[in-house]
Amino acid sequence: MPKALPSGLSRSAVEELSRQKEEPEWMLQKRLQAWDIYENTPTPLGRRGDLGTLRMFSNFKFQALSPYVPSNGTLPAAIEQSLEEALVDQRAGLVVQRNASVVRVELDEKLKRQGVILTDLDSAVRDYPELVQQYFMMTCVPVNSTKYTALHAAFWSGGIFLYIPRGVEIEEPILTQVWIDSPGSATFAHTLIIAEDQSSVRYVEEHNSAFEGEQASLLDSVVEVYVKNAAHVEFSNLQDLGLNVWNITNKNAVHEKDGSTTWVLADLGSRVMLADTGVGLTGNGSVGELVGVFFTDHDQRYSLNTLSDHASTATNAETLVKGVLTDESRVEFIGMIRIRPKAQQTASFLSDHTLLLSDKCRAESIPSLEIGANEVSASHGATTGKIDEEQLFYLMVRGIPREEAERIIVQGFFEPVLQRIPLENLRTRLRRSIVRRMSGSYETEADTWVDAQERWEVEGVDEYAISLDSKPVDEEIKLVEY
Amino acid sequence: MESELIIKNLHANIEGKPILRGVDLLVKQGEVHALMGPNGSGKSTLANVIMGNPKYEVTEGEIWFKGENILEYSPDRRARMRLFLAFQYPMSIPGVSVANFLRRSLEAVREGNKPLEEGENPSGRLTKRRSIPPGEFRKMLQEKMRLLKVDNSFINRSINDGFSGGEKKRAEILQMALLEPEVALMDETDSGLDIDALKIVSESVNALRGPQLGILLITHYQRILNYITPDVVHVMYDGRIVKSGGKELALELEARGYEWLRPSDGENGVTVNA
Repeated sequence: MPKALPSGLSRSAVEELSRQKEEPEWMLQKRLQAWDIYENTPTPLGRRGDLGTLRMFSNFKFQALSPYVPSNGTLPAAIEQSLEEALVDQRAGLVVQRNASVVRVELDEKLKRQGVILTDLDSAVRDYPELVQQYFMMTCVPVNSTKYTALHAAFWSGGIFLYIPRGVEIEEPILTQVWIDSPGSATFAHTLIIAEDQSSVRYVEEHNSAFEGEQASLLDSVVEVYVKNAAHVEFSNLQDLGLNVWNITNKNAVHEKDGSTTWVLADLGSRVMLADTGVGLTGNGSVGELVGVFFTDHDQRYSLNTLSDHASTATNAETLVKGVLTDESRVEFIGMIRIRPKAQQTASFLSDHTLLLSDKCRAESIPSLEIGANEVSASHGATTGKIDEEQLFYLMVRGIPREEAERIIVQGFFEPVLQRIPLENLRTRLRRSIVRRMSGSYETEADTWVDAQERWEVEGVDEYAISLDSKPVDEEIKLVEY
Repeated sequence: MESELIIKNLHANIEGKPILRGVDLLVKQGEVHALMGPNGSGKSTLANVIMGNPKYEVTEGEIWFKGENILEYSPDRRARMRLFLAFQYPMSIPGVSVANFLRRSLEAVREGNKPLEEGENPSGRLTKRRSIPPGEFRKMLQEKMRLLKVDNSFINRSINDGFSGGEKKRAEILQMALLEPEVALMDETDSGLDIDALKIVSESVNALRGPQLGILLITHYQRILNYITPDVVHVMYDGRIVKSGGKELALELEARGYEWLRPSDGENGVTVNA
């Protein structure tokens, strides 16, 4: 069993990590190059007058972190229990990463026979070096994208590698979880998905933490998705880290002809989060969709950045983000639509709506368009506002106390986005998490609400529907005139 | 005890501007009162103030319901005492289904008039609320919907979202039927309705009429009173009730307008008790 590295980020720590993993020379060299880029890249400080997320990271004590904390496969009871909750009955595969180590990998036998590969990235480096060399942090999320992707490339560990051969359609979701339960650690989780021509997959990744105390940990993750001709990848990410975890995440998908990706991003946790999500529409006719939900409280700070990068003809993208802020939290959303000169016949839409529940929270929304082609349709819209007092009054006049009325309105605000989350289990848990977050530890209401919602959804009403035509005549109400 | 709504010398402002200037009114269970008056006379304000809309500031007077002065009560607590308001402009709340909302509402109203105690988390109370099983609730709701000729698809839609004017008004009446208020304020329920919709809404109100329900029907047209016969007609002018009478008063107003009732300066106007 490998040993944890002492705290401190350095070139020798990179070498020691690679040595412990018994990595081939090419990977060591890749890590060292990345380390040099990290060292030579100035720390990003953000714009003047922004909400200060990057600046907070610039003051973060990276040197207090251990860059490598391996774990064994025995999961603490709390994690096991939470894992149970997350698992739907039907699934095609499962990966659990705890701190720096992947501790559990399962994949449906039939898919294995079809050539699907689901493994930890360390094993992939050993077993499929040509694939990893070709794709790992090359064109999707290049090492030098940001200072923090370079840091990630130098210290990545554990990691998930998914390869779907041509024509294989994986119906049931593949579920993955990253758990951080070590204070003062840095985890560099990496996800590399290669979907070959006409393949498809539904992939769910959850980021959680389970440790107490003030000592901060870091999750600096990268997700790379390669979508080949007419392939489709649905990637859902639920981030529910504790407030003692800082989070940097870079996700991107690059597409060949007619490829498509759906990002579903739900962010609830972590103290400070810097998130970049992109769709690289490099193939003709490729399509990217991004559905995002966030809820922040306490003094959380988020910087959410999305990029719809249209580089080919007839590409489509839609970004829809909805978030609720309360307490003293701050969220900055920068949504970019870039349409390059070659990207004629492109359609791209972006909307961002935030609801502010307290006087001290702040939200800033900066949608931007960069259009280099002339035959395009692009638009963006953003709204930020408080709960409508008249809506609250309406609900209260129906007997519902103010606090619950607020929760109902927030639920309603999120509902249209939640409806676009394809996986029911994820949708349900997300609803529950949101209600829980709004009312502290009282779970009964959340459960009643969610169950009711689900039950109506599942059962519908038609089974009890009463045909209006068969209405007995004696119930007709007579008009009285005078 | 009989559920009476008693308004005594009620004065209220909005943004410092006085709207109600001393309203006196008594609505008993089982009675239908029509409240008429020109635009801007304060009819809708009165309904909102009775329900405790925080937009308005009560500067003087009292509101008694079921023997309690409810002036300091929150709107939800007033509703849980079974005081109801059918809104003139019902709010749409996207993303919240009618079914879910009405079930929560019914649970709340059935829970009754319990104040929020000092320092107690309101959601803590809700955990103790007796929940109505969805199946049972669905039956109740569909019974009322059948009675009011409301389409079944309605309950899975978002509250008032994308509803036509007539649908919104009917949705209000449906809520009234379900929540079984003891006194209901109906604020211009007839406005914006075509004659067919008006008939359906009137039929519905007549169906709910009974010894358990007192109604204050706010309108500025006599039209709806062709279908819903009031016991008493009040006329409001400049924030006061200036005249009260029997149902004939409505016809007289239709013929003569409101101008003849304008109170002369510095006086309280003419008051005739029914």
